[in-house]
Amino acid sequence: MNRAGATVVVAAAILAVSAPFFLKPFGIFMISMWAVLTIAAIGLNLTLGYAGQVSLAQGAFVGIGAYTVALLMQAGYPFALAFVAAGGLCFAIGWILGYPALRVQHHYLAFVTLAFTTLVFLVLRNEQWLTNGIYGINDIARPAFFGWSTGGALNFYFFSLGTLAVLSLATWWMLRSPWGRAFVALRENPIRALSLGLDTRRYTLMAFAIGSCLGGLAGALYAPLVQFIEPGSFALGMSFNLLLMVIVGGSGYFFGPFVGALVAVLLPEWMRIAQGYYLIVYAGLVMAMMAFCPSGILGLIDRLSKAVFRSRRAAPALGAEGPGIVS
Amino acid sequence: MSAVLEVSNLRKSFGGIVAVNDVSFTVHESEILGIVGPNGSGKSTLFNCVLGQLQPNGGEVRIDGKRTTGMRPCDLNRLGVSRTFQLLQVFPQLSVRDNLILAGQEHQGSMLSRLIGPADAGLGVTADRMIAFFQLNALAHEPAGTLSYGQQKLLDAAMAFTAGPRLVLLDEPAGGVNLTMLTHLRERLAAYHAERKATFVVIEHQMEFVMALCTRVLVLAEGRVIAEGAPNDIRRNPIVIDAYLGP
Repeated sequence: MNRAGATVVVAAAILAVSAPFFLKPFGIFMISMWAVLTIAAIGLNLTLGYAGQVSLAQGAFVGIGAYTVALLMQAGYPFALAFVAAGGLCFAIGWILGYPALRVQHHYLAFVTLAFTTLVFLVLRNEQWLTNGIYGINDIARPAFFGWSTGGALNFYFFSLGTLAVLSLATWWMLRSPWGRAFVALRENPIRALSLGLDTRRYTLMAFAIGSCLGGLAGALYAPLVQFIEPGSFALGMSFNLLLMVIVGGSGYFFGPFVGALVAVLLPEWMRIAQGYYLIVYAGLVMAMMAFCPSGILGLIDRLSKAVFRSRRAAPALGAEGPGIVS
Repeated sequence: MSAVLEVSNLRKSFGGIVAVNDVSFTVHESEILGIVGPNGSGKSTLFNCVLGQLQPNGGEVRIDGKRTTGMRPCDLNRLGVSRTFQLLQVFPQLSVRDNLILAGQEHQGSMLSRLIGPADAGLGVTADRMIAFFQLNALAHEPAGTLSYGQQKLLDAAMAFTAGPRLVLLDEPAGGVNLTMLTHLRERLAAYHAERKATFVVIEHQMEFVMALCTRVLVLAEGRVIAEGAPNDIRRNPIVIDAYLGP
């Protein structure tokens, strides 16, 4: 990362830490939602943006994570254990969901994952003995750690932000390791990757499993954040919304999900000034964005900054040193 | 001289079309075997069967005496068999250096060690050496997709050599490359061969390239081996001329 990028990241981090002190409880709730959904979007960005595997199932993993935590906490288990269980379960289910991706790609894979999301929704709705069906689960407690309660809006926000920070650092580490290179290779040219010794099968399953695990961990925070979950929250709508975050932010850019989730969570709220029309305005903005900048907001910034950088660099540089390959 | 690659009675058909028909040949250590033949004669299909990209319908492939028929390409690659493709196959968004590191990173350690180990998988020095060897220095940090066609061909070849393979199969390395770049590429391949004593199998249409590089030539037509011999004999062989120009 260059110096300008680092400055922006530090400024954003300072903003994220100080923002809640200037907000009312509902505002703090919204930025907590941003932090939680960013985690899920980071997971999808890994699967889709880096490894190139289309998935419409991320919302379902948020649901599985949320229900796992809610049910385990109801049964008296501590949050920390429920959190780990949610991640572990989603990792395992994500690994299994990766198998179809070994056979089909693109829109076929989109349909496989879409069917999975519907399946999860049906299980959450119909298996009343386990999930309480359409009535959902009420009064999900917010955890406390060593006497520090996350019950209040502010504390829960910092808990979510801290979890986001830890998980994004872990993801950043993975993406800068040879795994990150392998995921990109999977997206760009799986056949060539295979001929270079990459076990593309294992990396594909891993991309699905880790992406889904992050979805489950987001769900594990989502349940205590909203304190009431019901199957409808984790239907296709959420999967599409997470997909929107990844694409609008900039698919395959590390900070894409952060920006995308900001747009998808906060923009509709800000636009309530447009009253009854706010969703129409929002939809219009998204369509314009996709038509003019399919690489997302970070893609746009990337392009603009490169243009500025090029124009600033003296033109003769190309002719003078040039990429002289054959000497 | 021991045999590095032994292909016996290999056969591959697509529906009614027999693309590779009972092909047998042996490649010895540090040999450069050229495979020529008109378009559609089964050269690339033969490569794909040897390399596990396609499953042959019959016959056998042995590498260093070990039966490898039906092995996955990634496992074959880790045994020391690498290849280039007829159509360009680099990773356009990765930098030249990252393309080269990627080409070697799966050859060492475990999945876990690659996750927690250094970002360049300890291959930075190797990658820089390949960059210098193929004279791609000025482009090391550029995304591979921004390179010219000829430069990408060089990178493609460099990637095949990064892991220090024992056997390299090159599918039309000279295809679509201009004369200057072609001479450069041939000279680099010859230099690598001289340095490492690796074994090459080269599919190529460009006869000058084959004559200058290969020690022995195999001619395929309609899925069969129709001639085999020293480059100069092959060029004068009436059967070969016939196969290329038609009756």
